Parts: sequence; C-alpha cells; structure tokens
Amino acid sequence: MLENDFPNALQWHPDPIVLDAKVAEAKQKLLNSIKRSIYVFRVDCGGCNGCEIEIFSTITAVFDAERFGIKVVPSPRHADLLIYTGAMTRSMREPALRAYNAAPDPKIVMSYGACGCTGGIFHDNYCVWGGTDPILPVDVYVPGCPPSPPSTIYGFATALGILDQKLHASHNVAPADEQVPIAFPAIPYKVRVAFEREARRMSGYYYGKQIVDEFMLTLTKDTKDALKAADSLIASETDTRKRAVFMDLKALLMSKVVDE
Amino acid sequence: MLKLFKEIRKTGSATLGYPFSPIEMPSGFRGKPEHNEKLCIACSACAIACPANAITMELDPDQNFITWDISYGRCIFCGRCQEVCPLFAIELTTDFELAVMNKDDLRESCSYPVARCSKCGKPYASAKEVDYSRRVLESVGGPAAADIKKVDLCLDCRRFDDAEAFAHQAPDRKEA
Repeated sequence: MLENDFPNALQWHPDPIVLDAKVAEAKQKLLNSIKRSIYVFRVDCGGCNGCEIEIFSTITAVFDAERFGIKVVPSPRHADLLIYTGAMTRSMREPALRAYNAAPDPKIVMSYGACGCTGGIFHDNYCVWGGTDPILPVDVYVPGCPPSPPSTIYGFATALGILDQKLHASHNVAPADEQVPIAFPAIPYKVRVAFEREARRMSGYYYGKQIVDEFMLTLTKDTKDALKAADSLIASETDTRKRAVFMDLKALLMSKVVDE
Repeated sequence: MLKLFKEIRKTGSATLGYPFSPIEMPSGFRGKPEHNEKLCIACSACAIACPANAITMELDPDQNFITWDISYGRCIFCGRCQEVCPLFAIELTTDFELAVMNKDDLRESCSYPVARCSKCGKPYASAKEVDYSRRVLESVGGPAAADIKKVDLCLDCRRFDDAEAFAHQAPDRKEA
C-alpha cells in the first residue's frame, strides 16, 4: 500500500467485498455449528512459501490436522475455508478474487502469516495491497512468520470456535514519575559495553545478548567473588560453543581488572 | 495381522495431543514479544530496530504523551527488539497462540509522558528516558557527567549550546 504523501484521490483502491445479508447469516450459522471436518484450500498471494511449508507440516503425522477432519483440498470448489498467505501482490489480486468466488458460500477466510495479516515486512512495498483484508472480508487472522504448526492448529480451533482467542487489544498509560532501576549497576558502564560488544562479535545478535546477559547476571549475583562465579558458570556450561564465549568474556574481564 | 497390531501398539503414536493437551515449545522458540511497561523507558530503540515496523513510536497530537505501539500481525518474530533493549523491557516468549477473529486485537500500546526542553519547551524524549540517562551519566561520572545539565535540552538547543560554547572558546585557541 502506498503510505506516503501521494494524493489519496489519485490512487486506485480495491473495492471491498460486502457480504450479502443472507450469506452473512448463513456464515454465522456455519461458524457456530461447524466444529470440525472442514476442507481447506490455500491461496498463495505472493508469499515466500514459508507459510505453505508450515501448512503442510500441520497435516503431517506429528500435528495431524486430519484427525479433526481438516483436509487440504486441491480446488476452491470443495473448500469451506480459504487460507490466504502472502502480502497480496497487485498481480495476485485477480486470482485471489477468482478463488474466493469459486468457493461455495458460506465460506470462511483465514489470513495466514504476518504478510497475510497486515502485509508484514512488505507492508509498504509499492506492489502489494498489504494483506488480505483490503481485498476480502477476513474472519480469522493467524500471525507468525511463518506461524508454527501448533499456532496453525490454534488458528483453526479459533476459527471453528473450539478455543477462545487469547489476545485482546490493550492500551495503557504509564504513570508519571515512574523510575526504572539501572541495569547492572554493579558493573562499570564501559566494562558492560565492552562485554556486550565482545559477546556480539563472538555469537552474533540475539544469542550474543542472551549470553552476555547470563554472564553479567552471574557476575552481579555473587557479591563476594565475581571471578569465582564466572569460573563456576564456565564449568557448569555443557554447550562448548557457549562455554567458549564465556571463557572469552572472562578473559576480557581479567584484562579489565586493576590491582589496588 | 496380529503381529501388525502388536507392532503398532509397541510403536505408539507420534501425534501430539495439542490442542486438547498443552504443548511445550522448545526454549529457543521465538514467540510473542512480551512488553514490560514498567521497565520500558520509551527510548524507541526497538521501534528503530524493528525491520517490519511492527513496533512504532508516535507523539500524540496534543504532544503530552509518546505512544509505544506493537502490531503482532506485522511482527516477524526476529528478536531485534529484545536485542537492542537497554533494559529487559521486551522479551520474546514461547507463547504462540496469537490467532484472533478481530484485527484490532492484534495491537497493544502504552503511552508515556514526554519531557520538554528546558530552553524552548519542545517535547524531545520520554520523561522516563531522560531520567534514566541522567542517572546513568551520574553513575558513570568523569568527563561524561560534566555536561549533565544538557540532558534537559532538546537536540537543536544542545547543538546551539555547543556552537555557542565553541565560539567562546575559539578566540582563546587562536591566541594559543
């Protein structure tokens, strides 16, 4: 979707599909009464195929969605539920509508994955509509990049009314004069920065942070002998890669120690 | 035939019980990012790092609050927000049950009071962040803490201040 300053009146916007009153009523009835055994057709509207792989791993033996009668069918004519994956590219809008119109009423539409829900990481790309809902009336949103098989099953269960949804919109206002304690006050700031840099250099983002946090927590927990705490952390670590990073951090700590 | 049934019984079932029994995700699983509103100083580091712009920071129209907002529908669960957080205000949990029937339920937000520049009165950061950075500077001490008063200035005023200080210094340097 174009979200820049380009005049809105000059942009073409897809007409949203409005459900017929009769169809809407039938759909509500379907949603309330159908508890299992739905046929699913998936429509890939410009996804990366990650979502497709997760859908197919949902119907394999480990997660086995077919024990609820959920079956992936090869034609929208057989489908009760349409899964739309991908960020809805401009060229896939027509095929998406064709699949929607080919499915018999009443039908349930599921937006699958981050791209299907809102456009995901491609939301401001010039050639996408930003998810399924600018084009089609969506009943259930399954976020994830891609959603794991259990969250897919949860999505089906939510759509069929077996499980209740957990997330709810929330807005809070933080009170004024709230103070946050300084993180790791016992470690000098520059030493902390050196630790964090070294850990990220050794094991990259995300894991580097987790490792350095664990290391610094251990150091600050033992108020008497931090070096001994570091030694016991290294000794107790079974993962050799992680132990190497801990040993490296300890060497760095030793280089910062000054005799008084 | 009997042998086959015996074999099946011995092998057991590989299928997991979910959703009828709870499932435990592995510890490295990247699920729903959980925001701790009390620990958050609204520094926008996560909003800048977020590759999908799922986390956004926006100043309210009346300029009294800055609002942190996440859309789980847009989140790609990369963990960059956890990576850049200077405190432990946002962490990825193993919670995967995120499906909703209504799109608005995918949003979560929190508003924080803003701090205003002591010179020009423009809002420039969240009050919590200014307070936090002041305390960090105090704990660091030394030359870093010498300019601690400038924490109360917005970026423009600080630049102006620096330029003024430099202009005062310049003639002395010329003589030396």
